[in-house]
Amino acid sequence: MDFGVAGGAGGSEEAARRVRVRFTTKLGPPLRVPSAPLAVPSNLTRMGLSEIVNLLLENTCAEHETQPFDFLIDGELIRLPLEEFLLAKGISAEKVLEIEYIKAVAPRKQQDPCLHDDWVSSVDGSNPSYILTGCYDGIARLWKGGAACTHILAGHSGAITSAHIINGKVESENRFHIATGSKDRTLRLWKFDDAEHLEHPVNIREYKILQGHTSSVQSISSDPSGDMICSGSWDSSIKLWDVKNSEVQGDTVSIKKRKLVSDTANHVESQFEGVAASTLVGHSQSVSSIVWPERETIYSASWDHSVRQWDVPTGQEMWNMACGKVLNCLDIGGESSALIAAGGSDPILRIWDPRKPGTLAPVFQFSTHSSWISACKWHCKSWFHLLSASYDGKVMLWDLRTAWPLAIVDSHKEKVLCADWWKNDSVISGGADSKLLICSGVSIQ
Amino acid sequence: MVAAAAAAAAAMGKSRRSSKNSDRLEQEIDEKPAANGDVEEASDRDEESQPSDAASLSEDEGSPGSPVDSEEDNWDVSDDEDHRSGEESDSSEEEVPSRNTIGDVPLEWYKDEEHIGYDVAGRKIKKQARRDRIESFLAGVDDAKNWRKIYDEYNDEEVELTKEEVKIISRMLKGKTPHAGVDPYAPYVDWFVWDDKGHPLSNAPEPKRRFVPSKWEQKKVVQYVRAIRKGLIKFDKPKEEPHVYLLWGDDSSAAENKRHGLSYIPAPKPKLAGHEESYNPSVEYIPTQEEINSYQLMYEEDRPKFIPRRFESLRSVPAYEKALKENFDRCLDLYLCPRTRKKRINIDPESLKPKLPSRKDLRPYPRTCYLEYRGHTGPVKTISIDISGQWMASGSFDGTVRVWEIETSRCLRVWNVGEAIKHISWNPLPELPVLAISAGHDVLILDTGLGNAEEQARINELLHVEESKPEEDGGSTPVVSWVRDEKYDCIRLKHLKAVTTVEWHRKGDYFTTVVPSGDSRAILIHQLSKKHTQNPFKKLHGLPVSAVFHPTRSIFFISTKKNIRVYDLLKQKLVKKLETGVREVSSIAIHPGGDNVIVGSKDGKMCWFDMDLSSKSYKTLKAHPKDITNVAFHRSYPLFASCSDDCTAYVFHGMVYSDLNQNPLIVPLEILRGHTSSDGRGVLDCKFHPRQPWLFTAGADSIIKLYCH
Repeated sequence: MDFGVAGGAGGSEEAARRVRVRFTTKLGPPLRVPSAPLAVPSNLTRMGLSEIVNLLLENTCAEHETQPFDFLIDGELIRLPLEEFLLAKGISAEKVLEIEYIKAVAPRKQQDPCLHDDWVSSVDGSNPSYILTGCYDGIARLWKGGAACTHILAGHSGAITSAHIINGKVESENRFHIATGSKDRTLRLWKFDDAEHLEHPVNIREYKILQGHTSSVQSISSDPSGDMICSGSWDSSIKLWDVKNSEVQGDTVSIKKRKLVSDTANHVESQFEGVAASTLVGHSQSVSSIVWPERETIYSASWDHSVRQWDVPTGQEMWNMACGKVLNCLDIGGESSALIAAGGSDPILRIWDPRKPGTLAPVFQFSTHSSWISACKWHCKSWFHLLSASYDGKVMLWDLRTAWPLAIVDSHKEKVLCADWWKNDSVISGGADSKLLICSGVSIQ
Repeated sequence: MVAAAAAAAAAMGKSRRSSKNSDRLEQEIDEKPAANGDVEEASDRDEESQPSDAASLSEDEGSPGSPVDSEEDNWDVSDDEDHRSGEESDSSEEEVPSRNTIGDVPLEWYKDEEHIGYDVAGRKIKKQARRDRIESFLAGVDDAKNWRKIYDEYNDEEVELTKEEVKIISRMLKGKTPHAGVDPYAPYVDWFVWDDKGHPLSNAPEPKRRFVPSKWEQKKVVQYVRAIRKGLIKFDKPKEEPHVYLLWGDDSSAAENKRHGLSYIPAPKPKLAGHEESYNPSVEYIPTQEEINSYQLMYEEDRPKFIPRRFESLRSVPAYEKALKENFDRCLDLYLCPRTRKKRINIDPESLKPKLPSRKDLRPYPRTCYLEYRGHTGPVKTISIDISGQWMASGSFDGTVRVWEIETSRCLRVWNVGEAIKHISWNPLPELPVLAISAGHDVLILDTGLGNAEEQARINELLHVEESKPEEDGGSTPVVSWVRDEKYDCIRLKHLKAVTTVEWHRKGDYFTTVVPSGDSRAILIHQLSKKHTQNPFKKLHGLPVSAVFHPTRSIFFISTKKNIRVYDLLKQKLVKKLETGVREVSSIAIHPGGDNVIVGSKDGKMCWFDMDLSSKSYKTLKAHPKDITNVAFHRSYPLFASCSDDCTAYVFHGMVYSDLNQNPLIVPLEILRGHTSSDGRGVLDCKFHPRQPWLFTAGADSIIKLYCH
């Protein structure tokens, strides 16, 4: 079969060299093309390849809708014309090339961004129906479906730096357990039910204030089971808080509090304060980001240029890596949830593999950003995808298989302070332009 | 006859001495007499047999008896004697005694006499009448044997040689033996008897040494062997390199020219012909017609001197028309252009640079600007970073003080003071987040409200107790009045004149203010906890610019426009005086170690003082083209920086070693640009982050920039 004309390159390219290719895919049957080898012009870009695949799909099934695809050769995404790609990778053009195609990522802009009163400093998309945001006005908000604000969590006297949904196993889908950290040196815990009222946002009061940090709380993460949370602070300490046990007490205390609400405020507050279960000391500067991916281990990134791994039962530091730059964000994910992605005071998103012996060199470096990186998140299902947000106002979607960003979201006018995945196919981000932006259509297998 | 032969022999002997004579003789012998006039002449004389002098054969008649001839004659005398004796021994019987008996005396003696000598009987022998030339010639013509006749001067007679004698003479002339019968190569007859006679001279037996190997030889061999082993004797001598030399090399540098003396300067070589001057150059050398036309547009000097052309053969190449002119020019060049020897030192300029470590090895240091802090509406005069590195305060000419969150560049709070802010300083205690601000005549101690509740209570207390005091203080000391400012909930220290700088002591209780026009009250030290003001420096030598506390000890630095004075606060006396040597000091910074000081000046110079070393500057860095506005040291990294009105900030590596013998290492690292100029002012302040290798710069363009590593 000859695809010179159909190949998008046009009839004028007849003279061009041809490469024999075979398209394979892991997609479902309606999107599967016959596996017979084809001859295509070698100067095709991925657009041309996408056209060919769409044409083939139309041939097999008439009601096929044209959609973009991305192509992989030997596990690397094609971002150059085919010929140059083969040349750059040293792949022989004599044999039949196996090209795997996947659905291309094409983020759609969200219609109307959710406006906040102040900078959006934190966003959590772990709940598929609600988005939790923390704001510099000290209020955390819950947005149902990413459109309407349903709950207002007011109480902090300083800007919220981190808001986190503690999704424990016992929690049902519509019962929320939320922790927020703030620059007022406290963490607050919130618990409420998802009531069906959409007319007015409901004000929620915290049921517990966790005090102990001597400087602003920078980051919060929770145990996978939801029993514990950990927080990193500017005072360079990491504190672990038991939220499971305090929950019971907290409920009682909150009842007490309601009774005593008419009493002196100081007295009431002292009643539902909590103290840290333990403190992990080791960092010498602000702990800017903290992740608790497994029950026993906590990873933390700090302004003292190090990433540390902590053993929770013993409270000891297991592993320490200096990277030479101030780190602002950290996430664990990727291949068998072992890769560390971190960004900081330079425009390079670095990914380390701690299992690699003897070297501290990053295994991947993505340097398309032009300013500090403020957030990075692995996709929870994919091994290859992660996103990063930067002060240059862009959110970038990365695939480990190529050095170029898969997609760039540049709707923000100002710095992007936080970003997360939502419902596995959307990117949510908040920034200094006080907007929460949702980009959907990021379908990743 | 025999006498004639003898005379011939004598002539021959003469011929051996004198080539001229022999030539004549040869001619006489070989040639026919009629052929040559010269010979005829001779024959004439012979026939006449006149008593002419001995030289007449060869010489002209006009010059008889030249000294050379006489000498030769003298030689001849002995020769003749030899001959005669030889002949006598050989064939004495044939010998006829000669007529004359005068013996072997010079014939000149008889030149003027009538006789030629005496015969045996002692009678005079008369000279024969001399025939004149014509007669002798005529006589010679008739006589066929005339060529064989020789005039014998001695006896004054004509001798006719026989044919045998002529043969002998010709043989002798040819170098053969006179007689043909003599065989010069006769077989050799060995007369010696070689065979043994049976009676040896010595009957001794053959000695032993003839059969024993020679000991001397053995020693010699051993000697050689040792020499070979030691390597003194080498067999495989290195092959001599073929002597090659650089044909087109510049002989001005060749060693052989040096020995001609210092003054020898070889002439510059003319340019050698290149490929383009070939009669048949490659195509690429031949210019196109367009190029040739374009030459006409060029200046005369720039025009190419030679336009390559192609010819079929060498034969068709025309004469070079400019040959004469070029040679002439060359000659002019050679003798008119003065040739001087240029003393050029061949030093790589790179090697003169001091060896500095690579910038790469000195990382981290601030390099790129990533964050900007925007909000001020006027030039940002001063910035200060909180000791924890979380907050930054800035003061601007627009009269506002802002506190920023460094991490996100968010402006947290704004105070509008109303007057242009001159200097701002965070309290160095982390639990006391208080700002000291100098604005106009006042210094404000401002509570930022960034502490936690406990700290806030302390601060309130510290700033609150104040309320009752101002009246008392104001009454007692007129220098400064401590007043409570209700608007911002802060303390206001009212000075009499404008305050330029305010600096905290490291313990956060004392602070100092500088009032440049304050005369004897220019430098004041205040204590926050007691709300008390001191004026320890009554007399200042020069206009004060700034004053700072030592980072670890109780030492106080006051910089005036010309020099820096260092005081010990405990002993209350002057410790040291640093002479800057710059026009006007603008800023001063103390190394966290305390022994090194940098001073920025208004003429763009920065001086590094090592106080242990000397009171003169250790290094003066002249980097900025305009005024330096501020200098800063990093608290922990070996970095320092200067910022200037030329809109740049320079970052240096300044390593101070604990080893006192090692001088500080100063390496320039980076020029940070980015600010724009406004009203001729550039960067007004620079400060390092206390914990990160980052530099903040405050610009006159009302932006604060953060440069990260």
